[in-house]
Amino acid sequence: MKYGPLVFLAAFFALSTSWFGFVLKPQADLGRAQQETNVVSSLLYPQPRPGQARQGVDVYRADGCFYCHSQQVGQTGVACDVVLTSPGTNLTAAAEAVVKANPMLARANLTEFLSKLPATVLKNITRDEADAALKLLKAPEMKVEVHIVPTGPDITRGWGRRHNVAEDYVYDWPVMLGSQRVGPDLANVGARLPDANWQLLHLYSPQGVVKDSTMPSFRFLFETRKIGRVPATDALQLTGDLAPPAGYEVVPKPEAQELVAYLLSLNSDAPLYEEPFTAPAPAPAQTNSIAAK
Amino acid sequence: MNPEPTQSHQHTDANAEPAVPMWLIGLMMVLLLLGAIYFDNSSGWFDTNVYAPFHNTAELERYQLPSAGNEQVVLGKRLFEANCALCHNNDGMGKAGQAPPLAGSEWVNAKGSFRVAHIPQFGLNGPIDVKGQTYVIGAGMAPMGAQYTPDELAAVLTYVRQAWGNNAPAVTAETISKVRADMASHPQQYTAEELKKLPE
Repeated sequence: MKYGPLVFLAAFFALSTSWFGFVLKPQADLGRAQQETNVVSSLLYPQPRPGQARQGVDVYRADGCFYCHSQQVGQTGVACDVVLTSPGTNLTAAAEAVVKANPMLARANLTEFLSKLPATVLKNITRDEADAALKLLKAPEMKVEVHIVPTGPDITRGWGRRHNVAEDYVYDWPVMLGSQRVGPDLANVGARLPDANWQLLHLYSPQGVVKDSTMPSFRFLFETRKIGRVPATDALQLTGDLAPPAGYEVVPKPEAQELVAYLLSLNSDAPLYEEPFTAPAPAPAQTNSIAAK
Repeated sequence: MNPEPTQSHQHTDANAEPAVPMWLIGLMMVLLLLGAIYFDNSSGWFDTNVYAPFHNTAELERYQLPSAGNEQVVLGKRLFEANCALCHNNDGMGKAGQAPPLAGSEWVNAKGSFRVAHIPQFGLNGPIDVKGQTYVIGAGMAPMGAQYTPDELAAVLTYVRQAWGNNAPAVTAETISKVRADMASHPQQYTAEELKKLPE
């Protein structure tokens, strides 16, 4: 063992550099992250989860939802749209400016184009191109906006509207990012599918609401019991094969309610300084499947 | 590691190939350069605010959205809704008989902000007439603004003076500092009569 101390030092050096890089530096950078005032809406983001949702974290974890569902939306690019919000007082000048910015529009009916506001003059361009277009779009009192549109496969699937960043997980412990996507990403499920009844039905019988779903059913989170004097208000509305025998009802156990509260609290839909975007809120989808889109 | 006969290694031939061939050194240099370019393009230089697809803060700044309003008003709105709105309401209409409305109030919309700044800083005791109605609450209004920095209190007052149809000039931190200078001589709450003696 002539080189014992050297081997020790080399191993120590290798391990301590990775500790500095993977533990100490991230902790120094992000360890004290906290709620911040949102740049756009001036509301505080993120919001702490309500009590029931916080209990749902344990149900989510215990039932292993994270084995098949991730909670991180990716983003590969960012594009700009130039949108006309008001043509101003001089319509002729406005039409000229619009054609100068986008010659393709010369063939269109410009009067109609300028009357349907907001009108997209240019779509899917870079920031430099958008700045160049803004210089051309000058007419008396004309108002033009630049919309920031994140792009990427996850965003096309409708799983979210921007990249998930560290700020989104400030109140998560443990952070269940997930590593496989057997099922869809859940980072924004509270924004996508805000209906608690839909969520309960989906947990009870995934194939009942999303045909061809590969998700196992979580019936042990529910209780089939005899209807008492009055039917329970939170009993599931089941039909067909799923319906319980006459005189019985299917009622979610507290765990199911907690899990659904947690799912509905998963919402990272706010634009942040780190990942800005302007996009109108999409209408809540009716199903969770990609095929249905 | 036995000592070897070193005879043959002692005198190396000056014309022989070096131990590391030149092409390998060149290749390493090229790889290092490519690695540096890749690092520069995709690391964001380890800035915690920079995520894909952005490369650095300068680029990120170019994509920022226009802010909802001026920063002072945004801060003031948040502080107001967290602290003042409990009594004065989010819409500034107050509580009948107890907390006077701030919307359209002649106290709030005064030309100068010196007098009105005394109310959150010191609190207010006794009845006060606002828009022709008298308001009074048990122990009076607590000095809610005393906990803020001058900038924060100025932001709240600016928000109050410019929200809900109010249209008075913004409040500066200097005004608040001037108000705070009275703190030593007047530790208790003000009354409406005392306030009226102050300059606007």
